[in-house]
Amino acid sequence: MNSLKDLFHPRGIAVVGASKDPTKIGHIILKNIVEYGYKGGIYPVNPTVSEVMGLKSYPAVSTISDKVDVVVVSVPNVKVLDVIDDAGKAGVKHAVVIASGFKEVGNIELENELVRRARRYGMRVLGPNIFGYVYTPERLNATFGPRDVIPGNVAFITQSGALGIALMGSTILEGIGISAIVSVGNKSDIDDADLLEFFDEDPNTSVVLIYMEGVSDGKRFVNVASKISMRKPVVVIKSGRTEAGARAAASHTGSLAGNVLLYETAFKQGGVLSAKSVEEAFDFVKTLSWNPLPHGERVVVITNGGGAGVQASDTLADDGIHLEKPPQDFVEEVKKIVPPFASLANPVDLTGMAPEDWYYRSVKLAVQNPEIDAVLILYCHTALTSPVGVAKAVSKAIEEAGVSKPVSVAIIGGMEAYEAIRYLTSIRIPAYPTPERAAHALAAQLKYRRYREYLMKKEHLINKSS
Amino acid sequence: MVEPRQILERARSEGRLKLLEHESLKLCELYGLPVAKYGLATSEEEAVTLANDIGFPVVLKVVSPDISHKSDVGGVILGIKSSEEVRRAYNAIVSNVFTRAPGSRISGVLVQKMAQQDLEVIVGGIRDKVFGPVVMFGLGGIFVEVLKDVSFRVAPLTEADVDDMIREIKGYRVLEGYRGSPPRDLESLKKIILGLATMISDLSEIEAVDLNPVILYPQGKGALIVDARIILGG
Repeated sequence: MNSLKDLFHPRGIAVVGASKDPTKIGHIILKNIVEYGYKGGIYPVNPTVSEVMGLKSYPAVSTISDKVDVVVVSVPNVKVLDVIDDAGKAGVKHAVVIASGFKEVGNIELENELVRRARRYGMRVLGPNIFGYVYTPERLNATFGPRDVIPGNVAFITQSGALGIALMGSTILEGIGISAIVSVGNKSDIDDADLLEFFDEDPNTSVVLIYMEGVSDGKRFVNVASKISMRKPVVVIKSGRTEAGARAAASHTGSLAGNVLLYETAFKQGGVLSAKSVEEAFDFVKTLSWNPLPHGERVVVITNGGGAGVQASDTLADDGIHLEKPPQDFVEEVKKIVPPFASLANPVDLTGMAPEDWYYRSVKLAVQNPEIDAVLILYCHTALTSPVGVAKAVSKAIEEAGVSKPVSVAIIGGMEAYEAIRYLTSIRIPAYPTPERAAHALAAQLKYRRYREYLMKKEHLINKSS
Repeated sequence: MVEPRQILERARSEGRLKLLEHESLKLCELYGLPVAKYGLATSEEEAVTLANDIGFPVVLKVVSPDISHKSDVGGVILGIKSSEEVRRAYNAIVSNVFTRAPGSRISGVLVQKMAQQDLEVIVGGIRDKVFGPVVMFGLGGIFVEVLKDVSFRVAPLTEADVDDMIREIKGYRVLEGYRGSPPRDLESLKKIILGLATMISDLSEIEAVDLNPVILYPQGKGALIVDARIILGG
C-alpha cells in the first residue's frame, strides 16, 4: 500500500473522459483543475478529440510520456476496468473514480474487481461514486463542484455526494477556509482512517470535518482517530442517529448495544467531536480552526444584556462548563468603565448603555488577563450602537491585546447584525447570530481540550506499561 | 487444567451455541474473574458433598442445554442451609424439570454459594460487526431494564477507559456512596471489566457475554459474579 502523499501532491493528473461538451462531468472537472490554478501537468484523455480547452488530448493514459500520479476516471462504469488497466500499466498511483453504478446499486462484483485490478498495479482507489477531491495547497480542484474554494486549514471528508457538493458551496458562503475536500463515496479502498492518517501528518490541515454514514472497520477508525485527535480536532456529522438498530436479543448486552450508541462511544473514545447538524459542525469548525487551543476552562462572558448572558451560561452549563467569578483584578478594571449598578459576576454585564468603547476596553482586559482562558462576547443590537461598530471594537481589542486566546462572539439583531458577523468572519473571528450558538461553539473547543488531555493520559499509561 | 478453548470446542462439538452455566463460570475463572463458589453435581450425594465444601447457604440451579429460563420451570431453589435441604432441593428440581419441561436434557445441578445480597451491577460484552469486541457496564435492576443507563467501550481498553466508562453512567453517584450507603469496590469492578474485555478479544468464537448480576460490595470487599451467560457465534 502506498501512502496518499502522491494523491494530494501529484506531479501530473490525467482526466479520462475529458469532454468538449461543457455539460459533461469530465469537462467540468478538467475546467476546475485548469481554472483553479493547478501547476502540475494536466492531461485530458479522450480518444475522439485532439484537444480539450486548448490542452492536447491523449487517446490513453499510457500514451502520456510525462509523470502522471493521479487518474480521474469519468467514464461509464462498464469502461472503468479498462481505464484501470491502462493507467495501472502506465504506473499511475491513484485512481479517482467518479463513475457511479457500483456497490451503491448492488453492483458489488464490479466494485470488488475494480479494487482487485487496482491492487495488482499497486494503485489505490478513491471512490467510486464520488464528486472528486480538492487540495488547496496545490491549487488542485478536481471536482465537479464549485470552483473557488477558500484556501485554509480545514479538511472535509464526505461520504455523501450531493450534500457534499452543496456543503462545499456552504464553506465558501460561511467563509470557512479549506485545505482539502475529499468525496469518499463507496470507500471501496481509501476510507476515513486512511485520510485521517494523511491529514494527521499534513502541515496544511489543522481541523478535520467528516460527514459519515458509517465505517467498515470501526476499531481502526477509533485507533487512528485517537492518534490524530491528540494533535488536531476531528468533527463528525454522523447520519442516521435515530436508527433503532438494536440486534436480536440473544443477550442483554446485545439488546442494548444499538448502532447509534456504539458510534457515539467510538467517537468519544477516539476524541472525535460529534455534531448533530451541519450548522453545528460548521459552528464548531470556526472556533476550532480560527482560535488557538484553550489552556483551561475559565470562561468569561461579556454582554450588554442579561437575557443573552443567561442563554449563554445555560448553554455552557449543558456542555459541562460552569462559569466562575471573574478574576478580581479584571473586575476592578471593568468597574472603572461601567456604571456602578452593572453586575460584574460572570456574565459581566456592561449594561444596555454600553458604547463600542466599553466593549473595546473590557474585551482587551479579558483577553490579556492570565487568569482567563477564553472569552465569550455577546452583543444585543441597541439603539445606541451599531453592530459593525461593536464588531470592529471587539476585533481591535483582540488584535491589540498581544495575546492569542479563544474567543467566540454573538451579534444578536437584524440585518446590521448579519453584516457585523460577516465582517468578523472575514477576519477569522468566530461570530454567530445567537448567544447559544456562540457559547456552544466555544464549548466545543473546551470539550476538545478535555478529549485531548484524556487521550494523552491514555497514551502515557500505554507507554508506561509497555 | 482446562483451557478456555477446550470449553468452547466442547460446546461446539455438542452443537451448543450457549455455554452451560458451569462452563461460563469456569471461563470467567480462567480469566481471573471472581465468581461465587460453585460445582456441578450429577447426583444427590455429589450435591451434598459440594454444598458442604462450599459452605451454606447455597443455591441449586438446574443445568440444561434445553432450558434458558430456569426459574420458570422450578429449576432454581435459593437459601439452602443444610445437607437435608440440599437433598430435598435436588430431588425437587429434577422432578420439577421432568414435569414442567419434559424431554429436557439435564446436564446436572449447579451447587453455588449464595452470595450475600448487595448492590447489583451488570457487565457485558458483544462482538460487533463494525467495532469488534465491545464491553458494557451498568447498574442492575431498573437502571438497566428501564432507564438503559449503561456505557460502552470498544476494546482494547486501558484503565483510563474503564475509569471513564464507570463514571459515565448517570447513576454513578450510587457507586460513590450516598445517604449512608458506602462507596463501592471500584477496583474490583475495573478488573472484571478489563478481564471480560480480554476474554472476548482473545476468544473470537464468543458472540456475547452477560455477567448479570455481578454483586459489587463496599470498597475493599470485592465483587462476585453470580450469573454468567456466554453465547457463541453461529
